[in-house]
This record gives sequence, structure tokens and C-alpha cells, in this order.
Amino acid sequence: MADIAEPAQAQQAARPARRGRGANGRLFYRHERLRGYGLLMPALLFMAAGILIPFGILVTMSFWTQTGFDIDTSFTLDNYAKAFEQPVYQTLILRSLYMSGAATVATVLLCYPIAYFVAFHVHRGKMLWLILLTLPFWTSYLLRVFAWKTVLGYNGVINSALMSVGLIDQPLEFLLYSQSAVIITLAHAWAPFAILPIYVSLEKIDRSLLEAATDLGDGPWRRFLRVTLPLSAPGIIAATLLIFIPTVGDYITPALLGGPDGVMIGNMIQMQFGRINDWPMGATLAIIMMICVAIVALTVIVGTSRLKARAS
Amino acid sequence: MKGDSYIDRSSRTLTLYAVLFLIVLYLPILFLPLFSFNDSIYIAFPLQGFTTAWYAQMWENPQMWAALGNSVKVGMATAVISTALGVFAAKAITRYRLPGQGPLVGFMMLPLVVPLIILGVAILILMSRLGVPLSLYTVTLGHLLICTPFAIATLIPRFEGLDPSLEEASADLGENIWWTFWRVTFPVVYPGIIASLLLTFTISFDEFIVAFFLAGTEQTLPIYIWNQLRFPRELPKVLALASVILLVSFVVVFLSLWLTNRGNRTLVQPGKDQ
Amino acid sequence: MDVIDHLAAVRRGRLSRRAFTRTLLAAGVATVAMPLRPARAQSDGATFFTWGGYDIPELFVPYAEKHGAPPNFTTFGGSEEALTKMRAGFVVDVSHPCNQGLPRWVASGLFQPIDTAKLSNWGDVMPELIDLPGNEAEGGLPWMAPFDWGQTSVTYRTDIFEVEGEESWDMLWDDRYSGRLGSLASAGDAWWCAAIKAGVDFADIATEDGFQATAAALREQRPHIRVYTDDTTTLEQALASGELAAAMTWNSSAVLLQADGVPVKFAKPREGALTWVCGLMIHKDAPHPELAHDIIDSLLSVESGHFMIEDYGYGHSNMRSFDKFSEETLTGLGLSKNPLEILQAGHFQTPQTQEFETRINEEFEMIKAGF
Repeated sequence: MADIAEPAQAQQAARPARRGRGANGRLFYRHERLRGYGLLMPALLFMAAGILIPFGILVTMSFWTQTGFDIDTSFTLDNYAKAFEQPVYQTLILRSLYMSGAATVATVLLCYPIAYFVAFHVHRGKMLWLILLTLPFWTSYLLRVFAWKTVLGYNGVINSALMSVGLIDQPLEFLLYSQSAVIITLAHAWAPFAILPIYVSLEKIDRSLLEAATDLGDGPWRRFLRVTLPLSAPGIIAATLLIFIPTVGDYITPALLGGPDGVMIGNMIQMQFGRINDWPMGATLAIIMMICVAIVALTVIVGTSRLKARAS
Repeated sequence: MKGDSYIDRSSRTLTLYAVLFLIVLYLPILFLPLFSFNDSIYIAFPLQGFTTAWYAQMWENPQMWAALGNSVKVGMATAVISTALGVFAAKAITRYRLPGQGPLVGFMMLPLVVPLIILGVAILILMSRLGVPLSLYTVTLGHLLICTPFAIATLIPRFEGLDPSLEEASADLGENIWWTFWRVTFPVVYPGIIASLLLTFTISFDEFIVAFFLAGTEQTLPIYIWNQLRFPRELPKVLALASVILLVSFVVVFLSLWLTNRGNRTLVQPGKDQ
Repeated sequence: MDVIDHLAAVRRGRLSRRAFTRTLLAAGVATVAMPLRPARAQSDGATFFTWGGYDIPELFVPYAEKHGAPPNFTTFGGSEEALTKMRAGFVVDVSHPCNQGLPRWVASGLFQPIDTAKLSNWGDVMPELIDLPGNEAEGGLPWMAPFDWGQTSVTYRTDIFEVEGEESWDMLWDDRYSGRLGSLASAGDAWWCAAIKAGVDFADIATEDGFQATAAALREQRPHIRVYTDDTTTLEQALASGELAAAMTWNSSAVLLQADGVPVKFAKPREGALTWVCGLMIHKDAPHPELAHDIIDSLLSVESGHFMIEDYGYGHSNMRSFDKFSEETLTGLGLSKNPLEILQAGHFQTPQTQEFETRINEEFEMIKAGF
């Protein structure tokens, strides 16, 4: 998963092998290229049909208007104007970005040490650890969310424990039906999406680099900051994007655990297609949300590559 | 052995953290079996008393089994097809230098970064325009869109470990392309294929949002569970089923791990360069 | 998972690679070729598209006797969602809307009138429930066969919530229990209940004044609400654990909680509860029109009625279903042998236009989000 950005390297590796083919190399090369496209074609065609057509419809629809049961198909920007005028949509989008951002940061921070532990400190049974860390996710997500209710609830595990120790007299009410409940649950649910890419990038680090750093007199922390952390950056970025992007549009977790203040933009989009019955508005909000997500994701990618460039 | 060097020395703090992490990871999930034995239809403390009635009722609930069966079918079909698509794509991406490859790959990864609700709604609109009735096939179609990028992303690192000269040698020996694939390529990449099959199956098996928009009369398990959340009567049976699934996956995973260890090697080592 | 066993076998050299690839290939082919159809001959049966909780064999005893098995079920969480899905092209035999949505469901053009001659129980159906606004198709046939009716009111914990004076909708606006009150998330219930609380007559609900007064009541209520939810399970669990002191629910929540030993009561607010009737409609392209009528007939039967009253606490449209129960039992459930008594004592939802539905839903979503 961490290796989305990697094909470029592979190309370079594959290139020299083909150089020495001489005169008929060119023909062969073109033939090869055709074969390459041929192999790529099934997946490409399928994805194109599955993405482009529905998205074309979605974009078109965002310029239409709903009138009762019918859709008025004359072009208008009213939906976009409405989305920018009404503060509720901005608030919901900002809140969604904040909540999934918080969940993403928490997940990556909490999972990094575990990935590090498995990559460097587990010598026998690495697979066992990886399986142990991903096994909980074989139970239904919906039921896990429900299970969190019993942990965070009014007389749930945390409140009961705190009350029996005597730390609090009244159950803490902010635990459930709040933004924090959504953030905690998302962080828990997406943990494997952080652990696996970070683990893969750590596992790839050449140990001799670490030894070299130690030989140069770096302490463990300095070594970590100078060698391990920068080299595991691709894993961290992959984890960040893999968690952040899908969670922005989540509506199940906020619906079940969020309470009135935990509503996210996904809930609003779902309502537009459901109860509110304004599909064009739902399409508009969906597109605005995707643009916001794309901006944040690009900022993360560009920002980290700048940082990387400066470091080296 | 590098494993014995001072860099890989064990750290007590990290070990402690790892154990705590596992506890927090498992704590909420272990409440599912706990409440599946609770003599109340409400999942709330205090516990009401021990019962195995939910398990008995679970066995006799044809709808739930039908939903489970549907989920397994959709998951298997999704896993096999998306992995097959992924194998071709990963091979093309790693083996050939194709103009415009970067954008094409980026495009195929798009579903990874599109919120599922949008994907679900967009496909639903398309299906209704085309007049395709909703069924498990449409759910599978939606899941294929979600899972194919995951399959490609999982398989690319595996194919990168592949030495192209091996394939060329096989081709020079007169083997055809398919035979070369099965004899030369496949043995190197199959851990990636297994990983991809498992990953895509798991994603499809638990996917709710897209399935919700694209399912017809036959429900998948997450849709069944979502509907049962509305009326608590059936919920404990769902908990019983979840506990059984959890137990079965534990047993199967550890059994296979044990078997593989007898083969004296670790199973799949993601990302480990050859 | 035997894939992994195979893998282990390959590694140990017990299985040749070729044999392994062949197995894998075979498995792949088998999976792809496997029809994505349930083992049961689903396509033969009719499909009932209904609320979660009605997808149970108990309501289809006569149907199962006649056809060997209950119909196929597919469920929804809200009737608007169901209509959306059918408008997107989803075809079923029978669906399950409520009276307030009836004219809009009819206007969608997706349904056909019910041939009442095919229903053996039609003669016992309470005529008052058939005679709803917008229910008459050509030839005097109904669009919707009434099935269940009930109320939306306040369910409260008798041991936690101290009622001041009479039971009233004010209970859900009571700042003593701020943060311990729950509400249904659909405007289809909450908007109408708030209108009752705000004193808006249902005849005026679509006027600008009525709209603003109702919205204001909902805005006032919002800070006190701990959770708005579509699933009654959430409300019931929170009431069972004491997290909520009172919540807006339908009849069945109180009945189920009481059956589980939780001290709750389904209030009779002095302003009157919200009352509703839900029923069955046949899709115009229903693949099994005959079976569709059998589904409806089964739901209208006395057996189904007994189950609805006893286990869910809802009213049933077949008047003979009530004979088995004493007046006392029915009163305890908030029901009566004379449904008009209940329906008219409460506030009966009146159908509205699609524009109004969109408007109140949009406004209510805003209010829930804090605007």
C-alpha cells in the first residue's frame, strides 16, 4: 500500500536491460509497449467505466435543480452559490476536515511506535504480530462502533471504572455522542491502515544505514530523527492519506456516536440524497467535499516533499 | 545476524507500549462475545445474566445465514476478480515503461481517495440510467471499484522484486507468455497475490456504504446488521454471529500460521526485498 | 483459508507448484463462475420492501402456509430512503409507506391500485383507516392497504424523570434533564411533534407562521438533546442504561423496554400524541402481482394482528385482531378497539407536498447541525 509512488523506480531498474538490444530494439520496444498497454487495459477500462461515467453524471447533476420529484436540467450555478452562502455547509466541511484530521494524526502517532516495534524489535513471529494487530478488523465495523458505545457510554466501561475508583461522582457525558467519541472510534477502526504501510516502509530501511549513523556517534534519538524517520516518511504519508481521505466522507460513525455536535458533511450529503431529496445539492456538496479533500491531500504531499528536499 | 545487533535490541518501554496497544485494540471487540451471552436484548451495563439462547436462535435464522452467504460470495468474487485485474496492471506498471503511465496509475488509484458515499451514489445513478436492476452483481461491481486499487497497490511491490531477465530467459527458451507467467512470475509474486486476495476479501466483506446503495433484495451481512440496529430484537443474534466469526478467524489464522511454521518459514513478509 | 494451507504445503514441498497453481486457478474459476444467487430459489418469491423489524416470518404465517415459505424481505430505515431507492429504479412487489407520505408516493407514479377482491381479510379492515386523503384510485380501489397504526410520543424512565403535573411534550424541552433527552432524527416525526408542542395546528403546518414557530421550538430544544437518531435501538439502549431520562419514540420501544424489565412509561401528553397509519402499496412493475396481494392479505390477517399488538404494541388495521385482548391490556399499550378514539385524540399527520417535505427536512438538518 505504501508503494503507490514506486513504479518510477521500477522503470529505471527495467530500463538498462532494454538498452543493449541494438537495431531491432525499437520495433521490439514498441511491441513491448503495446503489450504493456494490453496488460493494463482490463483494469484501466473497468476503472474508467466505473469512475468516469458516474462522475460525469455527478458533475452534470450538480448544475441542475430539483423541483419536487423532477429535476430541472437547465444549467445553473445556484447550488454552488447556496453552498457558499449558507454557513452550515462550510461549518460541516471544516468540522469534517478537523475531525478526520484529528483522527488521522492520532492514529499515525499511536501506530508508529507499534510498527517500529514490530519492524525492529520482533525477530521471530513478525507475522504473528501483524496478524494479531489486524485480526480485530475482521469483525464488522458496525458492530465495533456499537461496541465502542458500551465502552464510552453513560454507565459504560470507562465511566464505571472511573466511578468505582472514586475519581468522578457523575458519569462523564462528553465521552459518548460527541466529536471525541467519533475521533476515538475512527482512530481505532483505521489503525491497520496506519500500521501496515508504516511497517512496510520501516522494514525496508537498510540496517547498515542505522549502523553507520551509530558509528558516526549518533545517539538513539538522533539516529531516529536523522535516518529512521525520514526513511519511513513514504509510509507515514501513505497512512495519512489512506486514513484521512475516506474518513472525511464517513457518515456511519458520526450518525451512531457523534450526537448533535458530531454531525459531518457525509451525513448532510446522505440526507440530500435521502430525506431532503435534493440530489443536485447532494452532488454539489459531494464535489465541493472532494475538492477540499484533494487540496488537503496535495498540501500534505507537496509539503512533505519540500521538507524532504530541504533535509537532503 | 543483524537481529542480534545493538540496533535491534529489545526495548522495555516499547514492549510495554505494544502490550497496552493490543489491550486497547482488543478491549472493545471483546465486548461483543461478552454481550452475546447476556440475557437482555439491550447492549448495556449492568449485565443481566448468562444465556446461550442467542446462539441457539442464531442457528435458526435463515435470513442471517443468507446474508452471511451473500457476503462471502461477493467477497470471494471481488477478491478473485480484483486481484486478477491487479496482477495484470501491476505487471504492466512494473515491467513496461509506458508513456502517460503516472497519470494512468494515479487515475486507477482514484477510488482510494474518493469518499465511498460519492462512489455509491454515482454508481447507483448510473445503474438506474442504464436500467440495470440492483443485485449482488451490482454490489460486486461497486466492491471491485473499491478493491482493485488496493490489489494493484499491494501487488506492485511484489512485482518490483521480479528480475525481468528471468522472464526473458523463459521467453528465449520458447515458452509462451502464459506459461512463463505461471512458471516464472507466479512463484515469485504469489505471496503478494495471497495478501491481495485476503485484503480485498476483508474489505468487501465489511463494506457497508457502497453495498447499501447498490444492494437489491439480497442483503450482505453489513446491510443486515445495519437493519437490525434499528430494532434491537435481533441484535444479540448478530453479536453471537460476530463472536463466532471472530473465533473462526482466530482459529483459522493461527492454524495456518502453525502449519506454515512447521514448514519452518514465516508466511508472507510484506515489502521484504528479495 | 485453505489457500494458506496450500501455501504451507507448497513451502514444505508436498505440493508441486504446478498443482498449486492449478488449484488456485480452479478456485478462481469456480468463484467467478459461481452464480451470485442464494441457494434458496429467491427469484421465485415475491419481495416485501419494508421497515427493519417487519422482515420476520411471524407476520407471514398465512402466506407461508399457502406458498411454503415467507416472501423475500429487503428493509429500509426510513420511508423517504425507500422511495428514493425505488425512484432510482429499484423494483419490488410490495412496500410500506405511511399516510403522511401517501400522496407523494402516489404522485411518483411507481405504484398500482390494490385489487381488494383478492384480499380475503379486506372486509375486516377498519374503514376509517382506508378513507385517508389521497388514497382513492380510479374505480374506488385504494392505493394503500392500511396495516399498522400507532403513536409517536415520549417514553420516559419512571424512576428518573419526575413528571411535573401532567405528562406533556414539555418533557422533551425540560431543562432539568438537559443532555439526557433523546429524539428521533427524522423530520417526519420530530417536526410534527414540535408543531404540537408549539401549538401549531396541523392545518397551518405548511404556512410560513407555522413553519417558523415549529422551527423555533426545535431550535430551543436542540441544546437539551443528547442524541438524534434514526435507530430506535439507540434510544432504547440509552433509556435502558439510564443515559436518557426521556426520548421521543414509537409505541414499540416502550413495550419492548417494559418486557425487558426497564421501568418506563409511554406518555399520554396533554397536548395529544402524534398519530400515524402505515400501509402497503404494490409497485406498478411488481414481478409477482398475485403474490403481492397474498403478502398484503397475510399482513392483514388476525394472526399478524395479534403479533403486532402483543409483541410490538402497535395498532392493527384488522378490527378482529383486537377481540383477543381486554380493554385494559389495550389501554396499557396506548391502544383501543376503536382506533378513531386514539387517532382523533392525538394529532393525525396530514399529507404535504414534496416541496414542504424537502423544506422541513432541510431546515431540521440545519437545526440539528446547530444553525
